[in-house]
Amino acid sequence: MLFLMFQLGRDRYVLETGQVEAVLPLLATKQLPGAPRGVTGAISYRGRPVPVVDLALLALGRPAEPRLSTRIILLRYPSGPGQDDLLGLLVEQAVETVERDPADFTASGVEAGMPPYLGPVASDERGLIQWVRGEALLTPEIRDILFRQQAAEL
Amino acid sequence: MSADPHPTSGEIDECWREIGVSGDRSCPELEEHLHCRNCPTHAQIARKLLDRPLPPGYRDDWTLHFAKPDEKAPQGEEIDSVLIFRIGEEWLGLPATICREIAEPRPIHSLPHRRSEAVRGIVNVRGELLICVSLPALLGIGAAAAVRGAERIAVFPRLVVTGEGAQHVAFEVDEVHGLHAYRAHERGAVPATVGRSAASVVATMIPWKGRAVGCLDAGRLLALIDRSIA
Repeated sequence: MLFLMFQLGRDRYVLETGQVEAVLPLLATKQLPGAPRGVTGAISYRGRPVPVVDLALLALGRPAEPRLSTRIILLRYPSGPGQDDLLGLLVEQAVETVERDPADFTASGVEAGMPPYLGPVASDERGLIQWVRGEALLTPEIRDILFRQQAAEL
Repeated sequence: MSADPHPTSGEIDECWREIGVSGDRSCPELEEHLHCRNCPTHAQIARKLLDRPLPPGYRDDWTLHFAKPDEKAPQGEEIDSVLIFRIGEEWLGLPATICREIAEPRPIHSLPHRRSEAVRGIVNVRGELLICVSLPALLGIGAAAAVRGAERIAVFPRLVVTGEGAQHVAFEVDEVHGLHAYRAHERGAVPATVGRSAASVVATMIPWKGRAVGCLDAGRLLALIDRSIA
């Protein structure tokens, strides 16, 4: 299975590429005043508004650094039964993909109290990489706030 | 921090210029990796190029680019890809879904007591023995050795491995162009001039580089090959 790697601080995380719609360069985001913490704003992807979540802000408490290696991963995100929405993840060091067997990933040993999006870990020559579950990235409350407006338009 | 798109050499340790292939080749890693381009240190340094700050205008340019609708991808239209290859003077397309491998030509061992035009023999592709069929014979295409003018510098014959699931069959082609993606609306009808046995397998014609390329139908081609082997 192919995984897209990125970094939060010093640690490396991977997302399953099957969920990834596209990887975009760092775009200018339109601010969303009053948006929940971690949501940096919205971008227009092919004319479609896509909310962007800054994972560095969400997990580390500081915004992602504006560098060439900081990119927006467009994730297909299940927003309701049978329908997908796009969600942008602003991550640092999104420059690598790795081919790993899903069976290589084992429980990290610290499950209780961890954010729900962090999954099992696998090791390689540089240390551990952790699988991030795209579908668990947003809490139901944030998801409701983000996608409520779009649902209201339909 | 400056937004200089070209980092000065001070920021980057150019080890390949000092002890690597562009230097005195004294790096101990060269023994294992042979060339700096295979070395993980080199890759690590290359990745550092992406750690630079954004050049001016970068963010706005890309924002404008992605805000525009993608006119190259009309919604709802199917995109298909085919492997384009040549037999004699004929350019044909093999659906990418049944294309397994392109290999260098290799000796074909003929089968005793088998004097069929369509079955050429057995080939060894990475240890797997495959039946090699003759597509010209199957499709009724004249495999006349085409005399090529000076327009083309070099052409290489290839062995194409096709098949579904575990059943693989090889055939020889005179040249492989590569994969070509096309849209459903580009498909055209097969002209009546295509030979009868070829017409049964050629499903559609697609334009490619000013030529009409006959796209083979996956199911019908594999059925035809199966019948010829049986």
